[in-house]
Parts: sequence; structure tokens; C-alpha cells
Amino acid sequence: MRVVHYLNQFFAGLGGEDQAGTPPTLREEPIGPGRRLQALIGEHEIVATVFCGDDYAAGTPGAAEQILALARSAGAELIVAGPAFTSGRYGLACASVVAAAAREGLPALASMHPENPGIEEAGGAPVIESGATGREMAVSLERLAAATVKLAAGEPLGAAEGRVGKLPRRNVLVSESAAARAVELALARLGGDREATEIPLPSVEHITPAAPIADPGQALIAILTEGGLVPAGNPDRLESARATKWVRYEIAGLDSANAPDFQSVHGGFATTWANEDPNRMLPLDVARELEREGAIGRLHSEYFSTAGNGTPVASAKRFGIEWAAELHKANVAAVVLTAT
Amino acid sequence: MERAGIPTALLCNLVGIAQRVGAPRIVPTRGIPYPTGDPSLDRERERAYRRRLVEQALVAISTPVSEPTIFDSALTAQEA
Amino acid sequence: MQRIVHDVRSVEFGEQTRFEGGHLCVARSEVTSLCSDPSLATVRASWVSPGESARIVGPLDAVEPRAKGRGSAGGVFPGFVAPALPGGAGATHVLRGSAVVVAGFLPRAQEAVIEMSGEAAALSPLAATHNLVIEFEPAPDAPWEEVEAALRRGALRLAAHLADAALDAEPDAIEELPGLAAPDPGGPPRAALVVNLQTQGAFKDVFVYGRSMAGALPTLIEPGELEDGAVVSGQYGHPGLKNPTYLHQNNPVIAALRARSDVALGALILCPEPVDQATKELVSAHAARLCRACGVDFAIVTKEGGGNADSDMALKMDMIEDLGMPAVGLFAEMSGPDGTGAPLVAPPARATAMVSTGNYDERIALERVERALGRERIALADADATAALELPTAVIYAALSPLGWGRLTCRELGQCA
Repeated sequence: MRVVHYLNQFFAGLGGEDQAGTPPTLREEPIGPGRRLQALIGEHEIVATVFCGDDYAAGTPGAAEQILALARSAGAELIVAGPAFTSGRYGLACASVVAAAAREGLPALASMHPENPGIEEAGGAPVIESGATGREMAVSLERLAAATVKLAAGEPLGAAEGRVGKLPRRNVLVSESAAARAVELALARLGGDREATEIPLPSVEHITPAAPIADPGQALIAILTEGGLVPAGNPDRLESARATKWVRYEIAGLDSANAPDFQSVHGGFATTWANEDPNRMLPLDVARELEREGAIGRLHSEYFSTAGNGTPVASAKRFGIEWAAELHKANVAAVVLTAT
Repeated sequence: MERAGIPTALLCNLVGIAQRVGAPRIVPTRGIPYPTGDPSLDRERERAYRRRLVEQALVAISTPVSEPTIFDSALTAQEA
Repeated sequence: MQRIVHDVRSVEFGEQTRFEGGHLCVARSEVTSLCSDPSLATVRASWVSPGESARIVGPLDAVEPRAKGRGSAGGVFPGFVAPALPGGAGATHVLRGSAVVVAGFLPRAQEAVIEMSGEAAALSPLAATHNLVIEFEPAPDAPWEEVEAALRRGALRLAAHLADAALDAEPDAIEELPGLAAPDPGGPPRAALVVNLQTQGAFKDVFVYGRSMAGALPTLIEPGELEDGAVVSGQYGHPGLKNPTYLHQNNPVIAALRARSDVALGALILCPEPVDQATKELVSAHAARLCRACGVDFAIVTKEGGGNADSDMALKMDMIEDLGMPAVGLFAEMSGPDGTGAPLVAPPARATAMVSTGNYDERIALERVERALGRERIALADADATAALELPTAVIYAALSPLGWGRLTCRELGQCA
């Protein structure tokens, strides 16, 4: 099969954060880790690589479709994306690309760590487990290559092939009626088996917590909110429900979030109290006090805001990935996030 | 943000949901419309409560945790 | 009681309604007179049989022809055909392998499809029966509620009349149906079957002895009462999740319990599905107490409808378990077209044993058919009723049967049995 490989700007050898805005670009050969991948997938040819900056890929609407179009222009019959390890924007980009490919009926698979926050963007497209960091590139590529070969042969990819993330649930006709299965299940439960079920309960998502900061009095800390707090007049038109974006505003030099300078546009609760005293949503007054006293080293000069009302989980995850990237760039060490 | 290595104190009212989605550092608040407020208190007491809430958040971000953990120094108890 | 079974092997229209040697002949004039009502301008009957390249579009209710034997007390469909008194004793004749199916447009009736051949045929119980399809035109200015009531009366009368034709025929089988098993320390474990019925008013109601259960508390009945048509469906939403009268008459869970000797039916409880949280909790708590009062060892809970009905299921299952009895529920999943969404919106918290009747959203391909009945177009697909289509499984009539008729389940890709 003719394979096209997707990479971010870093693994394509362009550079780091400074190149994160690179638009989708096509090169008609394997690049970087793609060369090793080519060696491992044998008869299938990586006819091209599409690479793109993480900011562009994760943040620009339609980026996945643009990347897909470039891949198709090179004759892609199968798309491989990553490995993205735990890199959030890269994982999000890889997942979006393979999801877009799957929607168009093009076989595609991505590689990333199971805890990569972008993993759910992949929808029904397979994601193969990678290590946590680039140090595990070799073993990650081996697993990805094996899965690629299977996908090219039309075989399904399951847990045995290293598939992670949500496994799609498919309708299957079995020999026993649901009624008969219910009786069987009831007798099993009566007999002490409290685990058996055909529908698993939603599992508690596992997030590996970040290490704590040693001393808030030495740290750069940001205060952020999901409560839809914006400057009065909502200049950037943050939506009250099903928000498609987040917004950011300067708070340098401000000692307090005063009415009438701020308002909450969140549609999920009565905003009267927050509008009366916006510090009830963004605790700027006490944060400044703590900063003056040395309990907070320094308060970040911006705050981020979005409205978490009917927001699809996938969007909220995307905002979180983007916030993390922005905070990293600004060297923010920790966050206080108010939620409603 | 936690996955990206930035410890994050989540100030929220629906603690059960925060636990279910795996938020590691949770600071309970008194109401959905006012995460860092309590309109039943007079201004001075409310600001004092807000300060203690944010201090609790600072404790949360400087404490190691391995699973969803609630940081609450009985702040949710109503005051006289 | 006894089921006197007559297998229907072939069908036609003729001068007289007769049943002989497995062959059912129906007189069109009798269909017209039995369905005659001021709110119906015309009524048209057609036969459609299993395996035909045919599709019924917009099926409403489906009823199995049944009649009480001579000398049996009471009649069938109490409250509509027979007087409203509990039946369930004596002998009931059944024309197995046939059904009366009303099809056409009613407001709030979600478009459904019964595919008589091809892959989708395995998904609907009505694809395996010779269906007497009743199409209709409402009378001008007739209120829709009256049209619907008239169709129901007509279909039930027709079903009883067809089975009457078999009263003297040599049966193909006589099935002894045990009643409820009394508590017995040495006997097999006893199940409560808790049947939730939709009670949302016009076009979304289910009748018990001709009455809605809206506003009622749960009640106990005997399995024979279901056999004799005490529960009749007037619910036309959610096609894949519909419980037609046909399946109330042939309750799959009761059949599954009867098929085994290591378990018995100890209680049969009917419950409304209220639309507000407080009433849901009251009804569910009460149903759990009825289970306890009947001294059953475990409960199986079924529903009708989508996510709203799931919350009734969850409440009942948790409350029954809290009283010390294991509970199992039958649920359809709503995992999205690619199967990666959360299966359930409102799962139980403590009662974790659930049977899956399949993913509602998974799409299925239907081939072009030669003949369609019921409606001329399928609005959902904006296509001709006979066209080749792709539809969510949710549109196939009773495909996700909440009463447990179907053999669909969900498996994760790559998962073995």
C-alpha cells in the first residue's frame, strides 16, 4: 500500500516551539522516524510525509482536512500518524487526522501514549500504544509498524495489537436472545458473580497527577476560569453554551476583578452573583494580596476563560491541551482553576 | 494541564463529578454560581473566606497526590 | 393455562375467512367491516410473507391472532374486545407465525421499517411472520387520537376473528403454561419480572385492561393475563425500542424462564414510566417492595423507550439490590455511529449487571426491495420506500427489543465471546 506518514514540526526536524505555527507541508519521502518506520513495514511504501506545526494542527479549524488533502494528493492509501507519546497538541493532531481519514473511508492509525489527552479525538480510528517519551521511539515504532502491516492487510486491530483508547462497540448477532442472556446473568449474579455484565459501567478516568511545586511563594501561578468571565461587553464574543473557543485577557496591574469591568456570560447558571462581584469567579483580589505578601511568587499576567456549558468533552480536552501549551510557553508553574 | 505537568487546583461545587473525571486536586466550593464567593456572608467575611479558599488551592498545588484528592479545611461549613 | 398452537404456513385472500391445514384465508370484506369506524375513510389489507423482497414502512402496532377456546372463561384483549376482567386461564388458541400489522402515518409516530428479507430481517420479530398489513386513510377532519383508537380496535378485533377460524382445527402443539411459582424452600430460585410501560399520553401510551397506567403505582398480574392480551401497545416512538402488542403476548423473558428448569417465575410486575424524577423514585421504590413482598430471589427489569426510560431502569435496579435481591436490566446502547460513545446516559450505580440489546446508532444497509407497504417514502432517508438505504439500527422495528426478543448484543472490536 502507499502510506503517508504524519509528523509534527519537531519530529520532522524543523525545530521546537518556534516552529509550532508551520502550516501543513508535504515532502515526498519518509522523514526522521519515518525512515525507521519504512524499514519496518517492508513492502508498503511511505510515499510521502506530511508535517505540520503543533499549534497549527491543534488550533486551526479544518487543519485535519488540509493535512488529509495533502496526503491524498500524494496518493495515500493508508495514513500513519505519530508516535505522539504524551505530547498533547501532537496527540490531538494525530487523532484528528486519523479520525478525518476514517470518516472518508481511508484506513488510518495513530500512535500515542494511552494517557495522551488527545486520544479521544480519534473516534473510531485505531490508536496504537506508544511509550511515554521519545526515548521509547524504537519499541513504539516496532509496535506501530506491526499494526500498520495488519491494517494494510484488512485485519481488525484490537488489544493484542496494542490498541488503546476507546474500543468501538459493534453490534453482533449471537445465538441466545437477550432475554435468555438476562436469565443467565441473573443466575450468575445470584451465585456470587458481581462482575459479569455485557455493558461496562463508565470507568473513572485516570490522570497521572503532576508533581507538586515546592513553594508557591517562589512560583509563577495563573488563575483561570471555566465560569465564562470576560471583560464587560464580551469583546471576543465567547459563547454562553457549547463554547467553541476560549479567551485570554491581561490582568497585569489589576488589583481586583471589579464590577462593572467584568461579566460572566456562562449560560448554565444565574450570573447575578458573579456580575455583582467578579472576584467570586476569578479571585483576583485575594490573589494579589497573597502575591504582595509573598505567599504567591508571581501572578501570571493573563487569565484564560471559557464557558463550560454543554461543552463536548472533546472540546474541553482540546482547550486544556491548548492552555497547557500556552502556560508552558509562559513558564507558569501551577494553576488555580475555578469551575461552576 | 495536570498531564502536562502543571499542578492544577480545581475549585468546584460538584465534587463527585470532579472525582469521576479524575481531577487530582479538588477544592470544594459553596455554590456553582460563585466558586470563590459566598453571598450569604457580608463583604468582609466573604473576602476572608475567598482568601482561605485560594490558600487551600496553594496547599493543593504544593502537595503530592496520586489520585483524586479533596483539599478542604472545613471551609464548606457555614460560619456563624 | 394452555396455548393451543396452530402454525400458519401459507396465506391468501378469499371469499371467506378460513383456517385449514396451516393455510389461512382472509375475506377482505371482513377486514373492512371489523375495522370500520367513522374516523377511518378507507382501510386496505395486504399479505406480506417472510422472505419476500418487501418492506413495511411506518409499522404502528403488531398483534398476534389469538382467541379463547370454547368453554374458556373471558376473552382476549380485555378492555378492547372482551370485557375488562382478568383472564389468563383455560385455553388460548394462537395462530403462530402470523400477525396483524397496522402501517401508515400517525403524528408522533417515528418512522420504522420492517424488512422481510435480507440481513435486516433477522432483527425484527415481524420479519418471520405472515403479516396482514392494514393500511388506512383517515377520514377528513377526524382527530388523530380517534384515528389511532379506531385502528387499535380494528386490529385487535381482526386478530381475535382470525384466531376464531382455528378453534376447530387440529392443533400443531399444545403448550402447558405454568402460572406463577409459589415460594418453595426446596425449589429453584424465583424471579420477578418487572415490566416498565411507557405512559406519556397520546401516541406514547401502553394500555392495561384498556386503561393507561399513567399516575398508577406498580401492580401484580399473572403471566396468563399477558397471553390473553391484557397489555396492548399504543406507543409509536423509538421504533427499535418498541414493544409491540405481539411481544407483550409473547413475552421473551417469561419464555426464557420457562425454558429452564433451574429457575421459575415468581412475580410479574407492571409499572408506568413516569416523566418526573420524584414519581420515578416513588414507583421504583414501590416496585422494589413488591419484589420483596413476593419473596423472589432476584429480578429482571425491562423498559420501553430511550434514555428517559433508562433512569427508571437504573432506579429500580439499584432499589431492588438495596433490598437484597440481585437485579439485571436489559438496555440498548447509544454509543454513536462508530461505537465509541458512552453506551448509557443513566446507568445504575450499584446494580452493575446489564444485558446489551445492541447499539442503537450503528448503521445498517438495506437493499432495494420490490414492494413497500405503509408509506410511499422514507422521510428519514429522503428516499422512495423501496430504495436501497442506509439507516441506523434504531429504525428497524423492535430491533433492540427492550423485552429481550432479539439476539443482538455489543462487543468491543477485537473482543472474543
